[in-house]
Amino acid sequence: MESILVLTHCDETGAALSKGSLEAVTAAHELAARLGEALSIGIVGSKAESAAQSVASAGARVLSVSGEAFTQPRFASDAAACTAICRAAQPTLVLAPHSSRFGRVMAAVAYRLGGKIDTHIASIGGTEGIEASRWLYRQRIEAVLTRTSRPWFLLMDGGIHEPWSGEAAVPHAEQLAVELPAFRTRFVGFRSPDQGGAGTIRPEAKLLFVAGAGWTKKQPDGQIRAAEAGDLILQFLRLSAASLGSSKSLVDQGGDGNAVLPFLNHLNQVGQTGSTPRHPKGLATCCHGEEPHVVGWRFIGERRAISLDPNCGWTRGKADVVYIADAFQVMARLNALLAKSGS
Amino acid sequence: MHLLLSGAAKNSRERKMPNFFHIVVCAGIAPDPLQTLEPATGPNGPGIKNEMLLPAVLDPWAASALYEAAHLAASCAGSKVWLVSLGPKAKLQQLMMTVAQKASFELIAIDGPIGGFTDAHATASVLAGAISAIAGLDKTKLLLFGGWESATRGAGVALQLTGELLGIADQFQGVDRVEMSDDGSFEVLERVEGGKHLASNCGGAPAVLGWATGNLPEPRNNPQVGMANMRTMMPALQKAKTAALDPNGLRYISVSLPSRQRSTRVVKDLNPDEIARELVEWIGAE
Amino acid sequence: MSSEVQRPATDVDIACVGFGPAMGGFLTTLTRAWDENPADPAFESKIAPGMPLQVICYERADDLAAGVSGVVTRARGIRASFPALDPTEIPMAAAISQERILYLLDPIGASRRSFILRVADFLLRPVTRNHAFELPWTPPFLRKHDGLILSIGQFNQWVASQIMASGIAQIWPGMPVGSPIFADDADKPAVLGVRLADQGVDKHGEPADGFLPGMDVNARLTVVGDGPVGAVGRALSKRFKRGEEHDWALGMKMVIELPENTELEPGTVWHTFGFPEPEIFGFLYVHPDRLASVGIFVPSSLGDPERTAYRYLQLFIQHPVLWQYLKDGTLRSWGAKSLAESGKTGEPILSGDGFARIGEGSGSTNMLTNSGVDEAWTTGAQLGEAVLELLRAGLPFTQENLAGTYEKRRRESWVESGAQRAEHARNGFHHGFVRGMIGMAVAGLSAGRFSLKSGAPPAHKQIRPFTAGDKSGSTLQQAAAQATAENRPLHDALLSARGWPEIPLDGRLLITQQDALLLGGKVQAMPGFADHVQFLDRNLCSSCFEKTCIAMCSGQAITAGPEGLPAFEREKCVHCGACLWNCAQSSDGEHGNIEFRAGSGGLHSAEN
Repeated sequence: MESILVLTHCDETGAALSKGSLEAVTAAHELAARLGEALSIGIVGSKAESAAQSVASAGARVLSVSGEAFTQPRFASDAAACTAICRAAQPTLVLAPHSSRFGRVMAAVAYRLGGKIDTHIASIGGTEGIEASRWLYRQRIEAVLTRTSRPWFLLMDGGIHEPWSGEAAVPHAEQLAVELPAFRTRFVGFRSPDQGGAGTIRPEAKLLFVAGAGWTKKQPDGQIRAAEAGDLILQFLRLSAASLGSSKSLVDQGGDGNAVLPFLNHLNQVGQTGSTPRHPKGLATCCHGEEPHVVGWRFIGERRAISLDPNCGWTRGKADVVYIADAFQVMARLNALLAKSGS
Repeated sequence: MHLLLSGAAKNSRERKMPNFFHIVVCAGIAPDPLQTLEPATGPNGPGIKNEMLLPAVLDPWAASALYEAAHLAASCAGSKVWLVSLGPKAKLQQLMMTVAQKASFELIAIDGPIGGFTDAHATASVLAGAISAIAGLDKTKLLLFGGWESATRGAGVALQLTGELLGIADQFQGVDRVEMSDDGSFEVLERVEGGKHLASNCGGAPAVLGWATGNLPEPRNNPQVGMANMRTMMPALQKAKTAALDPNGLRYISVSLPSRQRSTRVVKDLNPDEIARELVEWIGAE
Repeated sequence: MSSEVQRPATDVDIACVGFGPAMGGFLTTLTRAWDENPADPAFESKIAPGMPLQVICYERADDLAAGVSGVVTRARGIRASFPALDPTEIPMAAAISQERILYLLDPIGASRRSFILRVADFLLRPVTRNHAFELPWTPPFLRKHDGLILSIGQFNQWVASQIMASGIAQIWPGMPVGSPIFADDADKPAVLGVRLADQGVDKHGEPADGFLPGMDVNARLTVVGDGPVGAVGRALSKRFKRGEEHDWALGMKMVIELPENTELEPGTVWHTFGFPEPEIFGFLYVHPDRLASVGIFVPSSLGDPERTAYRYLQLFIQHPVLWQYLKDGTLRSWGAKSLAESGKTGEPILSGDGFARIGEGSGSTNMLTNSGVDEAWTTGAQLGEAVLELLRAGLPFTQENLAGTYEKRRRESWVESGAQRAEHARNGFHHGFVRGMIGMAVAGLSAGRFSLKSGAPPAHKQIRPFTAGDKSGSTLQQAAAQATAENRPLHDALLSARGWPEIPLDGRLLITQQDALLLGGKVQAMPGFADHVQFLDRNLCSSCFEKTCIAMCSGQAITAGPEGLPAFEREKCVHCGACLWNCAQSSDGEHGNIEFRAGSGGLHSAEN
């Protein structure tokens, strides 16, 4: 006998649930249906009741915590809100999106409820019990695990389940009062990265474009064409709305006094100590395709690469198609075609 | 770690702050990022094959936390930095040969199991216990630093729980920058979705900061720093208490290294125009 | 490195340069005595009164487990230091169970064999199996029957753990030492300490972001154990000239995980010669857990200007007698190092005021028995005993005192007698492979009484220059054309033009050289250090046709740049030092045109 609660939160507008939250609702609904158990939905946000309309069709009990204090993320208020919802719902299983907002608090919430937590969960399956799968060692090892402890909190990674979509309706949401301590932390604002490459990281993009160290190395004609490389890359990002990633060696080059691409910083790094983004397609350019970097491509669907090296790592099972060609020439023509088609 | 500091930020770091902090950095052991890893299951559950043989580093984001801690302590006179690390004693000793050259700190070593398959709740419990026992630690001045997520378990749970166990009510995760003010309050930048940062203002210690990469370049190896650290380090390693980590009901059903071998089509005979056309079609297709 | 800049300085009692088997022997000997009696007045620091002796060791590699070196040893000296040694305590160690010597014939027909050798091949063929002839008996001078197979990386780390745990010595990895500090006013060899490499500099060594000038470490005694290509040892050799280091080899090896159904037992030792070129000696050592170290030595006496190691190694492992066991294996690790093969001929000054030299860099390697680790360890232990004797007697580390204690012990030991027997054992190789083997056999079987007493020319002269005939010859031209067309290095194309087959890359065991660097060696370098390989006279480089440095660079860190000048990528360098003795040019007639200085980086693999 389990009872399932999915915790959700509003997005920056405060009036709608975040995309990750809607995905978590889908996951929770599927789990509840499979187990034949009841589902509750908890919502945290400034206008939680209006956000609740999008999940009314889930047919679940809705509990909400709303108000000014819950507009923006903050450990103390979010933890208190989630704890209050959990105490009211008394679940054995708690699902929630692994967003930065809930990642910040959910382990503490689990502790307050006397439960245990596992995070970055990719899927929940299992025939006899509940089996959660996640990646360890920076997406190199896939593990399937289970726990007997209850309540068991599971933070779901985004981009895996479909966001919940159903007829909007006004549900009966139970408003919970939360006792709040005096806050020592207050929200100031959101900031974009310093380099002014503003928005080169686009988690929703259909395509990940990875620039490797070959862009700023000496080209076959003996020249370094870093400025031209930068222009080609930025133009491609504008025309294709792709997200920009980089190999570690390119990001590190700034430190060794080599030519750099000024709009790149370590946030763009994919693989090794960097990120493992999820995109349906990925295009690697001027990059050797060595294992520590390619590990970051774990969740990229279709992969293509452009490299002058016919023996690079991409050619051996790491990509679907590798074009042995000069990326400067290909990207210039690619940009021209994209500009013409207006896409 | 090459985000450039803005001019203003740099200035405030160089001013000497009247407040001091007791900064406790929690950092575990991770395999050197270039190593090839394979899972192996032993009598105690899954682990990494030959993990004890592989070169190890201090967990990367926790290492950033240590460097930020050392930097902060240097600008706030009277501050002190402790490094709490849980791992096999022999591995900790090897690790300290490099880490001790990079920052000044007092080591609290805990002899325990290695690896990301252990239960984060157990780790937090051991860490919180060790921190509570630190002689001379002023909890009202405590900044609990660590890595936001480790390169091993990568859960983002152990540090958060440790803070909760220590009763710290203000936590920040995915931190890239902290800026101190004269009155001991500080502004924190945390990574959020979309490549942005969330800026918050905290009234002061105690607080938990789980760092991402931060802003500082990795400090150079400096044997003078190392030699100064050695005086407290060797005794700390020698008297390290052993800790067992309770699995707490966590059970691994399987661990695997999925090999994703695609059958790659290597295209050598198309000219750049033809390649560009093929790519446009591919990008546009659903 | 400038000395006008304000440098931090520190004082220690004993500064040690490099951590390998020799330094392991030295520090273990000190540590033993300290553990037995910490109150021994010998261990009172003279530079920090009230503190114990300050013994600090600086090692370039980022990790002590990253060493790569010879791995079969009789371990006499090692066992003397660890009488109860159980190989199972040391990861990857195995007691030797079986030893074979194999002469490999060439099933492909591309190797360059003299007429005599071809006749020998023809006569031997009926008694070969898998194109190999096994010597029916192992000559005594080569036998290692009661010895150990080791991973040097794991052995070093095992030794270091114990040293560090005892507390008397500190070992700092990731800390390259730039140069010795000479006592300028002395009229005999004298060293005051060492200067660490500058950090926070650009590739030319000029101060950049975060400049940290290398610290001056003033020491009562500087122990130099930085190997045959270490910067401090080489600076000492250059200044206090003695010994001609003309004979070299590049050892390159792979650690291979054998297939699950392998028949090879741990403790198996094979020595080979004859393939891919007759002069290339090879080895196979089997560790526990289905790991095998397989490698070759490419000697300086192999005069081909386009000699190379990596592809020869790939061809070596595909020789039928080896491939039957190695195919379906997986590459786990890879590395390379230069070996100083001049033995006693290359022996430098062993001690001076304030310094002593141990290990391979001090000429301890025995080229007749082909062993270096045990000898290196033993010289380190001998110095350790000597230092204890001097500390206890309260005597200073002068040249006379060190000669009377360290050098005396060394000269009276088996290391010296072995070195004397081996002194001319390899001279014949400079006159050809067959003469070399005969010379070695004669020297070995007569315990050095009979040998070819001829010297070896300097390394750059051992490289046969391309003649006008070569350059217009079809093979070289064909290779040059192929190299340009396929964007591959000349040495690689030349091997193909000579009939060596292309390597059938499988992404698992047979991989490209760059993949071996990234997957097997995991090579990287810390930022902020200068380029440690320097090309001295650029004009010599532009006019050089041979460019053997490119062919022999283990990491492909040296490549052809514009205008005939070489380009160096620090991040790919494994610090093998091959460039030092693979330069075909020379401005002074003795040394090559390439300088190998102290720098950061190298292997990050722990299984070598």
